[in-house]
Amino acid sequence: MRPRVYFIVLLLLIPLQASLFNPLSLAGIKPDLGLALLFIIGLIAGPAEGALAGIAMGLLQDIGSASVIGLTGITRGLVGLSAGLLGRRVLDFRSPSNSIFLAVFSLLEGVFIAVFMQVFYGSVPFFGLLAGRILPQAFYTGLLGFAILQLMSRRNFIAALQRRTPHKEL
Amino acid sequence: MTRLPAQRKKLFFFLSLFVLLFWLVTVQVRHGRFTFMEKPVLAVAGLFERVITWPFKTTVSVGKQYVFFVGAQRENRQLRDENDRLLLENAVMNEILLENERLRDALEFKRLHPPASIMTQVIGKESSPASSTITINKGSRDGISAGMAVISAEGVVGRIQTVLPGTAKIMLLIDPGSTLAVRVQRNREDGLLEGKLRHCALKYVSYYADIQEGDLLVTSGLDGVFPKGLAVGTVVKVTKHEANAFQTVVAKPAVTLSRLEEALVLTQ
Repeated sequence: MRPRVYFIVLLLLIPLQASLFNPLSLAGIKPDLGLALLFIIGLIAGPAEGALAGIAMGLLQDIGSASVIGLTGITRGLVGLSAGLLGRRVLDFRSPSNSIFLAVFSLLEGVFIAVFMQVFYGSVPFFGLLAGRILPQAFYTGLLGFAILQLMSRRNFIAALQRRTPHKEL
Repeated sequence: MTRLPAQRKKLFFFLSLFVLLFWLVTVQVRHGRFTFMEKPVLAVAGLFERVITWPFKTTVSVGKQYVFFVGAQRENRQLRDENDRLLLENAVMNEILLENERLRDALEFKRLHPPASIMTQVIGKESSPASSTITINKGSRDGISAGMAVISAEGVVGRIQTVLPGTAKIMLLIDPGSTLAVRVQRNREDGLLEGKLRHCALKYVSYYADIQEGDLLVTSGLDGVFPKGLAVGTVVKVTKHEANAFQTVVAKPAVTLSRLEEALVLTQ
């Protein structure tokens, strides 16, 4: 994808996630739009572009959410990279297995950050966080990714994007 | 010198990038979070936020107005009756207030001035396993500055972290970076309340301190940010270990932060 497309996606991401996704919140849990988009970018564009997009997205989210700058940068970079590597083997973007992978990535990211917070910032309630936030959000994000991929596939949007975007390997 | 193949160069580039990010995180763990990039990013995001949410909020507002209009006439009649009753009550209350002031003056009590405040609306909520913040629709143009206390009708919300001309970011009470001087209302035991994302924890409470589940925590005023006596939360769990000099006290915030729509910023 072109840099200006990434630029617009990144700029829209924080306000979309922070404001417009509030009505989708269930018991305070919102799906992670950024992660879902990154997963799709990785699948389409490959590991190199996925990792770069992930790092940029993560850094921006770290700055926007007053978190430790670089922490989400690392996790999103790894998610983008993994999604890109997975993209080599994905033949059907509408397959539900994609949303399972997305949910797993969301879960692993949440666990990584929770462990980091537990180690460096004291007694964050790990299991409470896992059961009350990380797992439901992973499930919800997987559903969102599935819905976006279904929509994009129906409109042949993915095929058009794949034609324009060469799958760049590491 | 032999040239590295393109694939290795790319691999080296990405490895360096990740190493750099790890270094950034390590530096912040040791010396605190970097905040220098917050203002420009939040300024741009805030602008987009307003543009994106404007049509949505306008539609919701028009819909609500229509729904309310249907029952407005009946409600109007009820309100008129209530107004008459309140006018009468108000006259009695004024008398009591005047009498109270006279008595205070007589006893040379210091008059309590309610702190100056600004009513704001929550326009964004950000929550991750690493932080918990909200964005409000007022900023430095309205007299808000970093460090100010933020409350709601139920109690303490948090404090202002970053301020832009039209918006401000609040670090919530449950954010891991948040600390607050509190007091147990029942026995006046002091403590330091730290954010733990889903709840808060009272730190450095002596093993022998009498803390019980259900105890109400209020601000002690010792931090110089929050006025004394505001509700902060309720103790939900107390754990004592004989090997530890301190007890572990878990508290639930008084304010339902996930459903917060308005917040009051204390400017004094």
